[in-house]
Amino acid sequence: MRTSVTVFFILLNILLCFVWSAAKKIHDEEFSEFDDFDEDEFVAETPSPPGASQLSSKTQFNQPDQTKNEGLSQPSMSKTTEQTTHDSVTIDDDDDDDLMFDEEEFEATDLFSSAPTPDFKIAEVPANLTGNRWESYHCEAIMILVLLSYLINFLIGRSKNARLAATIYNSQRDLLERKFSLVGDNGQTQTTKSTDEQIDNDVVSNNIHKESESLYVLWCSGRTSLESMLIEMRFIKRQCLFNSLAALIKSLNDMIIYTIDYSKDDMETFVFCLAKKRSAVKLHRDMNDLSQFCSERKNAEKHRLSGNYQILSEISEVSKIIIDNRVGDFINKFPDALEYIHISDQYTGMKIQNDNQQSSSSQPSNNGTTVGSNGVSATQQQDALNLSERSVRRVLIVAFNLIPSNDRSLQITTETVINDYSRFVLHLADHVGLFRFTSKESKVKTLKNRQRIEEQFLKNVNQQRQEQAQQRREEKRRAEKEKIMQSDDPDKQRKWEEKEYKREMKRRQPKMKQMKIKSM
Amino acid sequence: MSDNRRPVRVHRFRPALITQVDDALPDYMNLMGMIFSMCSLMLKIKWCAWVAIFAALVGFANSRSSDDAKQVLSSFMLSISAVVVTYMQNPAPMTIPFMQ
Repeated sequence: MRTSVTVFFILLNILLCFVWSAAKKIHDEEFSEFDDFDEDEFVAETPSPPGASQLSSKTQFNQPDQTKNEGLSQPSMSKTTEQTTHDSVTIDDDDDDDLMFDEEEFEATDLFSSAPTPDFKIAEVPANLTGNRWESYHCEAIMILVLLSYLINFLIGRSKNARLAATIYNSQRDLLERKFSLVGDNGQTQTTKSTDEQIDNDVVSNNIHKESESLYVLWCSGRTSLESMLIEMRFIKRQCLFNSLAALIKSLNDMIIYTIDYSKDDMETFVFCLAKKRSAVKLHRDMNDLSQFCSERKNAEKHRLSGNYQILSEISEVSKIIIDNRVGDFINKFPDALEYIHISDQYTGMKIQNDNQQSSSSQPSNNGTTVGSNGVSATQQQDALNLSERSVRRVLIVAFNLIPSNDRSLQITTETVINDYSRFVLHLADHVGLFRFTSKESKVKTLKNRQRIEEQFLKNVNQQRQEQAQQRREEKRRAEKEKIMQSDDPDKQRKWEEKEYKREMKRRQPKMKQMKIKSM
Repeated sequence: MSDNRRPVRVHRFRPALITQVDDALPDYMNLMGMIFSMCSLMLKIKWCAWVAIFAALVGFANSRSSDDAKQVLSSFMLSISAVVVTYMQNPAPMTIPFMQ
């Protein structure tokens, strides 16, 4: 689809060039009569009455259909003929008339000669019609160059990202096929097995899936102790010139993010995060579960981890068990590779999205459950099910930075290290899946926390439902009022007003009644 | 090493599981492209038409696969037609206002 669009764009550019040249031709023809003007013609005209010559030239200018030759010959011919006719007119007339005419003529000439010659404002000929016409289009040339350079950068950046994704996939394909029953699924094919036809046509849809020019995903499923693993390859947007410059300035990296989903029984109930300081700050602020369950950020120096790592943990026991020797060794081997590890059984996505959803969700028919996992689709799911439970996921998310090592290119570095990353993630996934709390207190504490959050959530939901119900009631009343006002029937209006008055009294009365009972 | 693969536990991929990152750039670029195209057509400003082509190109480069290709193509077509029509009306070279 992208290649067809680029081909289409190139064809349109060619069409534009053709149109351009056609437009130029048309203009050449239109302005042709102004090309060959002799100055001699203007000089010969001055003795004759200038009024007449101006008229004659005007008539010629008003007839652009005449050919070039005619245009050239006519001025001289018509002027000479007019001169002769004029002379003949002067000879035939009476002397008085001649004199009058002559006087008038002389007066006219005197007038014309005494009056200052009018200044002819010679309009500047546009630059594109004189000299080398292409030179005047320098702005357009610059724009076209800019567009072409952006297009070239797009093609180069896109191919670079595609090659990187292919390298990552090919390097760890064997490992993944040994560990998972299903490797590569785009969610659209009916079966998950690639048929012979697909292999023959070299179109394997159950493969790495391109979400955009800078985001590739690989889905793996079918393993003990976990439901699925999603590998997201989030590259720098090399296809866009502005984004690649911004990435240089902000020093962003290519990232590879492993998201492992567990089922309810596969994982213990806790929330934990080990992250580099810059990510720890962002995650603590933005992630729902980390902000709700983890109160503070602690330094990871106790666990002998090199680098600037911080820990957010609900239960302190967990940090010691999760950050074992394997993690320490990995961090020492690849110092800047690990960006963060986020383990949670209450994962609901980012705060900002949920806030937007809460403010915008005013669907009257559905409940106010807006704490979805990601984007609108989860809330729609929730609304469809009409549950008053939060849709949480049990996840292990590990994010790595893809940084080229000292002397090698990014491609080669990625090829060599990606298998180590995958093995580390799988080891961690199994470790988390097998972990269970040793002390009952930890379990009780976590359950209490979850209950508290659940109650808060239900309160919010109830509040929103009540507000919506009240809004609906008010709207109904307004509609009724409008109907009755429009009906112009005074009896009806009176009756409705009486009803409203009674309703208001009822609302106030219960309080009064209670007061009376108490006093008695 | 025991084989931990379980074909029974296979789950299908759902696009909703991808971490959503708020990126409104392609939408803004499409909108900008359309606005500049209309400006160039109505007000006969040449540089608007060129900026519209640029905006359409940037929007196309940053678009996601799930996005509708029709919108991107329509934005392209509109900007190119804006350039063509503006130059047909007045073939004089472009003048950038603040530079002259």
